[in-house]
Amino acid sequence: MEKLNRRNFMIFAGASGTALAAGVGKSKKALAGNVTFKNGGRDFSPLTGKERMAIPTACWSCVTRDSMIGYVEDGRLKKLEGHPGSIRTLGKLCAKGQAGVNQVYFPDRILHPLQRVGKRGEHKWKRISWDDALDLIASKLKPLRDAGTPELFMYQYGRHKASQAATMYDFMAAYGTKTIGNHTSVCEAGKWVGQESLWGGMYDNWDYDKTDYVVNFGSNQFEAHTNHIPTSQRLIRAMVDRGVPLYTFDVRLSNTAAKSTKWIPIKPGHDGLVMLAMINVIMNEGLFRKDHFKFMRVTPDYHATTDQKIAAIKREVAKFTPEFAEQKSSVPAAIIKEIARGFAKAKAACLVTYRGTVMHYHGADQERAAMLLAAITNNLDTPGGRVMGVGAGWKAPSTPAAKVHKGLHLKDGFEGEAAFPTHHVSHQILPVIKDGFAGRPKVYWWSCYNPAFVNGDNKELSSILRDESIMPFLITTTISYDESSQYADLILPDVTYLERWDWEDMVSANQIAEFYIRQPLIKPLGEARCQGDVWPDLAKRIGFEMAWKSKKDYVRQSCEMTPGVKDVGGFDYMVKEGVWHDPNDKGNYGFYAKKVDVSGDGVILDDKTGVYWNWKKAGVESQAKAKKEGYLGIPGAKSSYVAQNIEGTPYSAYAPNTSFTKSGLLDFYSDNFKSKGLPAFPTYTPAPDHEAMADDELIMTTYKVAVHSHSRTTHCKWLSEIKHDNPGWINADTAAQRGISDGDTIKVHNELGSITTTAYVTEGIIPGVIAISHHFGRQHSGIYGSGKSDPINGGASNDPDATNMTWKKHGVHPNAIIPNRSDPISGTMRWMDTVVRVNKA
Amino acid sequence: MNKIYKPKIGRRNVLKGVGVTVAGATALVAGAETVEAKATVPRWVMVMDLRKCIGCRACTVACKSENDVSLGRFRTVIQEKTVGKFPDTKKWFLPIMCNHCEGNEKDGIPPCVKVCPEYPGKRMTFKTADGGKVRYRGGATYKRPDGLVLIDSELCIGCGKCIDACPYGVRSFNPFVKAGKDQTKQAADKCDMCKERIANGIDPSCVNTCQGRARIFGDLNDPNSEVAKLVKEHNLAKNVLLPEEDTNPHVFYIDPDNILKDLYKKREKGKLDHYVDLIP
Amino acid sequence: MASPRNDMIEMAKARTNVYGLLADIFRAEPSQDLLSKLKDKEFSIALHTLNLSLDELFESTSQKQLLEDLAIEYTYLFIGPGSHISPHESMHTQARFGEVNELWGVATVDVKKFMEGAGLKVAESFTGMPDHISIEFEFMQRLLLKEVEAWTADEQEFGANIIKIEKRFYDEHLSQWVSIFCDKVIKAAKGPFYRQFCEVTKAFIDFEKVIMQDLIDEKEETDRLSA
Repeated sequence: MEKLNRRNFMIFAGASGTALAAGVGKSKKALAGNVTFKNGGRDFSPLTGKERMAIPTACWSCVTRDSMIGYVEDGRLKKLEGHPGSIRTLGKLCAKGQAGVNQVYFPDRILHPLQRVGKRGEHKWKRISWDDALDLIASKLKPLRDAGTPELFMYQYGRHKASQAATMYDFMAAYGTKTIGNHTSVCEAGKWVGQESLWGGMYDNWDYDKTDYVVNFGSNQFEAHTNHIPTSQRLIRAMVDRGVPLYTFDVRLSNTAAKSTKWIPIKPGHDGLVMLAMINVIMNEGLFRKDHFKFMRVTPDYHATTDQKIAAIKREVAKFTPEFAEQKSSVPAAIIKEIARGFAKAKAACLVTYRGTVMHYHGADQERAAMLLAAITNNLDTPGGRVMGVGAGWKAPSTPAAKVHKGLHLKDGFEGEAAFPTHHVSHQILPVIKDGFAGRPKVYWWSCYNPAFVNGDNKELSSILRDESIMPFLITTTISYDESSQYADLILPDVTYLERWDWEDMVSANQIAEFYIRQPLIKPLGEARCQGDVWPDLAKRIGFEMAWKSKKDYVRQSCEMTPGVKDVGGFDYMVKEGVWHDPNDKGNYGFYAKKVDVSGDGVILDDKTGVYWNWKKAGVESQAKAKKEGYLGIPGAKSSYVAQNIEGTPYSAYAPNTSFTKSGLLDFYSDNFKSKGLPAFPTYTPAPDHEAMADDELIMTTYKVAVHSHSRTTHCKWLSEIKHDNPGWINADTAAQRGISDGDTIKVHNELGSITTTAYVTEGIIPGVIAISHHFGRQHSGIYGSGKSDPINGGASNDPDATNMTWKKHGVHPNAIIPNRSDPISGTMRWMDTVVRVNKA
Repeated sequence: MNKIYKPKIGRRNVLKGVGVTVAGATALVAGAETVEAKATVPRWVMVMDLRKCIGCRACTVACKSENDVSLGRFRTVIQEKTVGKFPDTKKWFLPIMCNHCEGNEKDGIPPCVKVCPEYPGKRMTFKTADGGKVRYRGGATYKRPDGLVLIDSELCIGCGKCIDACPYGVRSFNPFVKAGKDQTKQAADKCDMCKERIANGIDPSCVNTCQGRARIFGDLNDPNSEVAKLVKEHNLAKNVLLPEEDTNPHVFYIDPDNILKDLYKKREKGKLDHYVDLIP
Repeated sequence: MASPRNDMIEMAKARTNVYGLLADIFRAEPSQDLLSKLKDKEFSIALHTLNLSLDELFESTSQKQLLEDLAIEYTYLFIGPGSHISPHESMHTQARFGEVNELWGVATVDVKKFMEGAGLKVAESFTGMPDHISIEFEFMQRLLLKEVEAWTADEQEFGANIIKIEKRFYDEHLSQWVSIFCDKVIKAAKGPFYRQFCEVTKAFIDFEKVIMQDLIDEKEETDRLSA
């Protein structure tokens, strides 16, 4: 082009003026106010002082959701630190929490609504306005609702908790769909199912502040845990400051195993067996404590005496000798005995389990064994033991549900897949939709979830999203472009957790509930919008009203409704302080041993089970019928549970608060399990495919490292700098047998396919196993996560710091060769059971 | 969201009531030219309790965040090492950072300061909490009377001599900061013990977030401080990295299992790849 | 011959118009309205005088299709997903003293404070960041409108001071990154629309340097002569 001079410039400017004079540019003004200068513009000097704020809020990098303080300078989030006033976090934050700053400012963040214009996966997009985006969604959702088929709208979420989940459920109910999917089966569903069959509730806390001895099966809590910061700091301090020993059973020398008093390598899937062998030792050596036996049921008889129970447990575990366990699990019998004795003799002891125990075939039953081991030593719900956790109980506004409120049955897997999918079978949702036996949604919306990455056989799941003939309209709310959002028809830019409101309720490590909130530290970047603000807007466009105007309004109303919080000052108090707990709370211990008044109208004693229940509340026509059918004979009677008769005294005991119908006793003998052909008493059930393994086959397990969550942190530069590649951990002997040396390229393969990585030959893993962390091998995770900002043809990143990036490897995703198979009890994903072969590539 | 949050539980005010009266000034405040008789000078140090480090890297990332440390380099890292034969395998973690060395007995000048072409530079005054004054010499790299070894990027010429001279290899060029005296070069950078934070009575960022309380920061000159007590109780004077270098480091390690020597990966001459936080 | 005062007004108005138009071009994908205006003969001739032309584009593609194409091109170039060219200053300049420049970086804050110093604020309804190229252009447009007012009201000193403030914003911000940004877009653009507007923008930014210095010199010369 020509260089500008006064002449051609004036011509161009004139034409520009004509274009502008037509009104263009008037409507889109970004700057408000009037140009004004002091002193007629002499000595103009913009303010240079820094405007600093410290705002209490809460993390969301993982489900632990630590309360924290955000430091903001001139509208930019500078730093995050633990909230020093929090009884949960005690002012600490982990590496992922510290890297929250990266979540806001990573250069590949989605900041505008995007509509797909090419084919799915063609990466061709058009920015559209929020108005257009919401109108488009309403145009899809309103007809479904008007036609009486709201269930054809499916919503699935990954990390939604507290008010983020509650606002979504409130909207979905008001709209009318129950077709809502979660992600718990890829997390730890089997653990909850095992606990609910006993406790009638779930989520175990480990009372480290008061414990004297810790035995840990398959929990890497020094690196990752659903309550990481509150528990791990208490554990390491208990160990060093008070000399508490920690014994860790794990296939791999995790950081937790490394810091343990002793690491005990164990074959995958054998945690339950070792626990049964410990029970065997404790029972036979008379090291058990009878205190908790009266709350336990271990035989079909609800009224067995303690002696009968002791005899029954001995009988059930007789075959699980330490020697038998050694043969199967490779844990030496001597160690089993030593730890069993130490555990039983300790004044207070914690029995810890997590994914290493439960993400297996019959994982839920292994959790039941853990509960039994804690119960017979009186370490269940006692100070210093394994205790039922407590979180804040918020009250919240709610919108009336739609008249038509129904769902497609997509979330519990295939026919016969799981006996008690009380936390559902989320990894099978897309395969079930593809199969079509339970119908298919017309609109599928997912949020804070990446189904084509986080589930097993993820390439297959990805192809289901890609196929327009399976689901015609896909919406996602996300901060990043990833394996799933690439196939969406509409991408909505989510706020990060540092730009939104919530009330929070994660479990405390000290048994005292903490109420806390999350508040925006900065104005959302770009056009990012909180879903809690989207729902009321969308409702209006569809034709209904929510009971709250925005997420902030929802949080405000909740603060003014919730006893305790309301009394100290409600919303204003929480905005200022961020956290609150009842200073008079003595902690949730002994809740099961409260004596209950059973004189209420309609309360009767069920002779068979010893349950006091309210036949009137249960809706039975007459007392006579109630007596005749009994507590177990009336469907739904469990919701009228009042107390458990124990040796003549009505105790609150363990109320059936979940879908399991049970008495107030800990059902170590479970009619529920028996009725489905599952072991009524905790036992050892080896995985059939492991029994049939060939000599050269290995079991592949996955794990998390300290600096990453499963799927939402690889775009964070400070985290991926520390960990971005995931070699396969393999024992030196196992490697030698295959001619593999450290650093060799290896192929890991099975019937599903093959992945290629490097060998990390180590003495820190049991022979017969290959362990590969599951964070990496991202298809799309921006410049820091997958090494490419551009899904189409590569290119430089926007972030100047990207030029300093030193790593070129981005790992491999093991999920590609992990089939979506479920624990037949709970429906939990069998992450740790995959059979593979490993060769030098 | 526009309220300034003031935590009810105050952070440990590290500046309050610290310091002891310096008698033989040169012994305790090496490098200082003159010390007013009554000035109480702190000696900032770090104690690392290896029993409590769980290798979580919260410190590494908190440091990145606090100091906007660019990619490709660090101001603190965790080294880890797996040792032993299966099944008696162990893995150890070692947090390392600038040792804020005192320098050898003779001249009290740390090796990085000694090689700095801009040292000794202009005369500086250090004001103590009780209003006392200590005179010392500045430089692009210099040691302050409170023991902090610091960098003045405005005076830096980007020669890199300090980076090479540090036996611990904890220094690097900052790609985002030009050397003040030679705009064609980058300035040297390293841990400054979060000097702005400690000036405000707040623990350094890595200490603030350390779950296990494996990092303990404080004033060694204050006999009542936690660090002084730990150094005494665990006899830590020699529990430092590379004592043979005679640098007199002031990061001490509680190391009852005596793993420090085997665990520490030294720098190779001219290289810095020992000072990268990388989880294998 | 035009009076010096009229010269000043004329030049300020011309610059206002160009900043205004460019602010629109970079703010979002073109609206139907804007596209119609750009298709007009007057604008076409203006482009021709610069040896540029969008005639072929406008002739070969229906307006509806062009709106769609340009929306896609705008998204591809400036929004992503993927390696777009961020239209924010902080993504193209180096920060000082170790502060890392990225989204809402040091430059963003500087721009925000500059605007606030001039009595302007980013509107609540606007969801972007203050150092977006179109906001920086809008800011210059607003300064220039004030300058026009000053000359019109014969507030000579005020007018001259505003030019100096414009120059300062130009020196500290526009000159630091707009050309760099335009070069990246010119390289990445698939069609002529954004390529040509970036050519114009680049030329304009070069021209601004000369013209603002000229204006300041001229003003000083006039003042000296009249003194």
